[in-house]
Amino acid sequence: MRTRAVALSILSSAAVLAVGWQLGEQGRVQDVASAASTSTQVSAPTATPTPSSTADSGTAASGTAAASGSSAAAATATPTPSTAAGVSGTFTGAVSSTRFGDVQVSITVADGTITDVTALKLTDKEQKSVSISNRAAPVLRQEVLAAQSAQVKSVSGATYTSDAYLTSLQSALDQAGL
Amino acid sequence: MGVQVGARVHVFDTMGTTVSIRFADDRPDPDVLGRVETTFASFDARFSLYREDSEISRIARGELSLPASSSSMRDTYAEALDWRRLTGDSFTPHRPDGVIDLSGLVKAKAVDAAAAVLEQAGEADWLMNAGGDILSRGDDRGEAWRAGIVDPLDRAALLADVALGVGRRALATSGTAERGEHIWRQRRPPGAQGSCAYRQVSVVARDIVTADVLATSILAGGPQQLDDALDRFDVEVLAVDESGELMASAGLRRAWGTSTP
Repeated sequence: MRTRAVALSILSSAAVLAVGWQLGEQGRVQDVASAASTSTQVSAPTATPTPSSTADSGTAASGTAAASGSSAAAATATPTPSTAAGVSGTFTGAVSSTRFGDVQVSITVADGTITDVTALKLTDKEQKSVSISNRAAPVLRQEVLAAQSAQVKSVSGATYTSDAYLTSLQSALDQAGL
Repeated sequence: MGVQVGARVHVFDTMGTTVSIRFADDRPDPDVLGRVETTFASFDARFSLYREDSEISRIARGELSLPASSSSMRDTYAEALDWRRLTGDSFTPHRPDGVIDLSGLVKAKAVDAAAAVLEQAGEADWLMNAGGDILSRGDDRGEAWRAGIVDPLDRAALLADVALGVGRRALATSGTAERGEHIWRQRRPPGAQGSCAYRQVSVVARDIVTADVLATSILAGGPQQLDDALDRFDVEVLAVDESGELMASAGLRRAWGTSTP
């Protein structure tokens, strides 16, 4: 019974991806976004934040791909084990308008798991791809400090006046002149 | 002429702050350093609202109209408007009283121009710090240039350090701790939970203008602008909130080997 349920859910998640892709090909980017959100949840139904936070990915995918009803649909997806087999590749949606201009979203899927969501912005001069996988997350001061190197040659901080410079770390580094 | 510190560092005051340039090898000739200083001075002379005789002060007083201003003024203003659009209005070249204020862009533009002077002079390996904003070229005798980010809760301490290299040449920090920079925060939305303000924001980017503008815009725009900047630009960000807690982008977390709590 359990095996059958798992097999069914694997099938359905693969089907969602395939359908999402086909719909996307037909020019409806929101369906790709929906597939992205859905399978993000499917592949990693965990509440623990990871460096490429899956929760972030889901939210941003629907946000970036422009406001359709897709996030609501994603919220009802049923989580299944991350052993979902099969579907791999890059799936690109159609062009959609957002408040930043036209974007096109593509998702990268490896073995049924979304590994990246990229929005290609079409109206920017740069025409560059942006990824939502770089979102910020909390870090512990102690951990950051522990990773600190002694080889700092310059110090960045809020703009200081010439007077404040004299008592700054930067001034000390400059005086050391190493 | 500025101060010569050791054989490798050149320090001078300009634009109300202090610029330090550290060279991997000996300093270049005095005339090269002179041209660098002149570059900063010319930006200050045109764009400083602290100087009554600057072109931008004449515009502020209504003595000069923008269409009649220099092409340099109009180009910089146009660039600032581009950045306003790219940052969802969280970076703006207008003071609340309507005066055009390009100070959020001009220091970075001056650093950029000074970098061009050094490059034309054949200087390949240096680290320039203009009042807390950093631009690097090349490396430090084979090692990556490393820059620290100051702790806004303790100016004498560092929060973190970052390696500057290809695609990550610039590091800029905006904060509320020191000089009263012209940053106007967006009002907290009614009913918003918890703190949505940052005390200090550092951005690592390919170029100093992007780093500086985005640091300013995230400080002004808060968490929403932080997400937005990370989605839309190839940058890394370290933000410190009002209680001193840190938020870091994925690339920095990887570089520091930190987990997320």
